[in-house]
Amino acid sequence: MKWVTWEQVGVDRMACAWLITKYLDSEAEFLFVPAGQKPLPKEAEPFDLPGVRLSHHRGHCTFYTMLREYDLHDPVLERIARVVDEADTVQEVTLESAAPGLDVLCRGLRLISPDDRVALERGRLIYEALYAVLASETEIP
Amino acid sequence: MEQPQAPSWVLLVYKIPREPTSSRAAVWRKLKRLGALLLHDAVWVLPATAWTREQFQWLAVEIGELGGEAYLWESSLLLNGQAEALQQQFQARVDAAYQEILGELEQNEADLVALSRRYQQVRAQDYFHSALGLHVRERLMRARGGLTS
Repeated sequence: MKWVTWEQVGVDRMACAWLITKYLDSEAEFLFVPAGQKPLPKEAEPFDLPGVRLSHHRGHCTFYTMLREYDLHDPVLERIARVVDEADTVQEVTLESAAPGLDVLCRGLRLISPDDRVALERGRLIYEALYAVLASETEIP
Repeated sequence: MEQPQAPSWVLLVYKIPREPTSSRAAVWRKLKRLGALLLHDAVWVLPATAWTREQFQWLAVEIGELGGEAYLWESSLLLNGQAEALQQQFQARVDAAYQEILGELEQNEADLVALSRRYQQVRAQDYFHSALGLHVRERLMRARGGLTS
């Protein structure tokens, strides 16, 4: 299946792409359009764009929305959603020390990648690593 | 943080139902947290960067979800000197916050944990890279002790 989002992927879109490939669609193919471009390709599911189903809702990031929309219940994924929330959206209360660093790393990863597709692929390693660390922390609230 | 290339600004105008007040307050606090300036009690403005553009877009969508309405523009100022004046307003506010931190650093038993946190919050709003920010950073590092470089 095809998935479409804006160019210049960052922390939230890398997280979503990792989630999509790992949990929803191992054959996922990602398309990228310039920010704000309409119409979107019809055959692709849009994500992390303002106003679509898989997007920010009620101040939460798209990754958080995707867990709800696809009924994924995993305390580690929930925790990652909080990290991405803090990294990608304006939050008043911050609890996740990994968040600002994750944002910086994902932006840097895009800078050193030749295109968005490669950036998403490389980003998967970051989220695998994040998942492993958070899973190893025994007390997940 | 990315330096705005041309002096271009993102502008947000919104209206949100009076009740519940918590929604109104949440939006207002987010705007403050982003470091947006409210011009003439009418228009919220931020220097345009990929990041501020995206944050305002999400906020506009959120306002819609809260039953409000939001318009978002990107524009540049047409009168000479106004961009500089606006930039100075941003800078003045950030510098005032930095000064406050410096003032508290002078005190005995300053709460370095709280101050370093405040420094990071101010820095996130320091769109024009105030020199004072570097100064605060150095002072915090010195106050912490140990190596400063």
